[in-house]
Amino acid sequence: MNKVTADENPEIMQWLSPLDPRGRHQDVRTDRLDGVGNWLLETNEFREWRSNEGGADKAVLFCYGNPGVGKTYLR
Amino acid sequence: MLRESGSGEDVSKVSSRFIWRRQELSLTARNISSLVIDDLCDEPCEEEIAIAMFYCDFRDQQKQTAINIIGTILKQLVVRGEVPEHVRAAFRKAKNEVGGRRLRLPDMIRVLKQAIAIFPQVFICIDALDECLPKHLLELLASLKGILEESPRTRIFVTGRPQVEVEIARHFTTSAVPISPKTHDIKRYLENKLEKDTEHYAMSAGLRAEILRIIPERVSEMCVGESKIHLMHDPILTNRGG
Repeated sequence: MNKVTADENPEIMQWLSPLDPRGRHQDVRTDRLDGVGNWLLETNEFREWRSNEGGADKAVLFCYGNPGVGKTYLR
Repeated sequence: MLRESGSGEDVSKVSSRFIWRRQELSLTARNISSLVIDDLCDEPCEEEIAIAMFYCDFRDQQKQTAINIIGTILKQLVVRGEVPEHVRAAFRKAKNEVGGRRLRLPDMIRVLKQAIAIFPQVFICIDALDECLPKHLLELLASLKGILEESPRTRIFVTGRPQVEVEIARHFTTSAVPISPKTHDIKRYLENKLEKDTEHYAMSAGLRAEILRIIPERVSEMCVGESKIHLMHDPILTNRGG
């Protein structure tokens, strides 16, 4: 890669999008406890989605739930 | 009322030393998303795969437009290697037009499709779709639909509250999995909290065992089919009088 194109890369990244989720992902995974939620990885739905077994009909996996809000406490 | 014989200290009194928000239970969709992303990253794979992600956040809704989200997905595919020539060409062309205007959404989608085609397999994970503004959500889903139609080996993982399923179903055939706290997960969370409790002197083995037995049962019961149960109103957990 020559210097001109290398120098251009950060500008291209910013031009594509101002959003960068990497820091958010790092924060979330740092707080996650090992083993918690692993049940999902064992479900047929996840395995089919992950392995492409289900073809185009299984291309989208939607996990839904009601996240806790700060106002809901267990005291 | 829960009370350990001899100690006189009940579960609710001990648990009041913590603020146990359900959000903190590490059971939310956000944690599930990060788990899936890490699982995909860690899984050994014979062919090269690319993983792109995004966490929607209601605090940043204005910036989280469909074009910005599609753009950040593209960015993540691009940073894996050298910037592909088609992306660089689009950038240079735009830079020379009206002082560097950005791509329009259809152009961004087209460039993303080209980037996806370089990889044998691409996974896109987007967390908390319900935190997008509705107009951005519709554009985003329509964009993803277009990408899937042209790149059928792409896999898309999304999370959100149940109410977004209607919109998702309008665009895709999906597999859906409910996320609800599992007893094992709650126990794991409690064990972690108890390990980090700074007031060890106030905890006995019996009380610890009782907390680990009772609270997961209660939380699991409450979370089955619930959406608005306020745990602070639970009589067992709030009755301090014994």
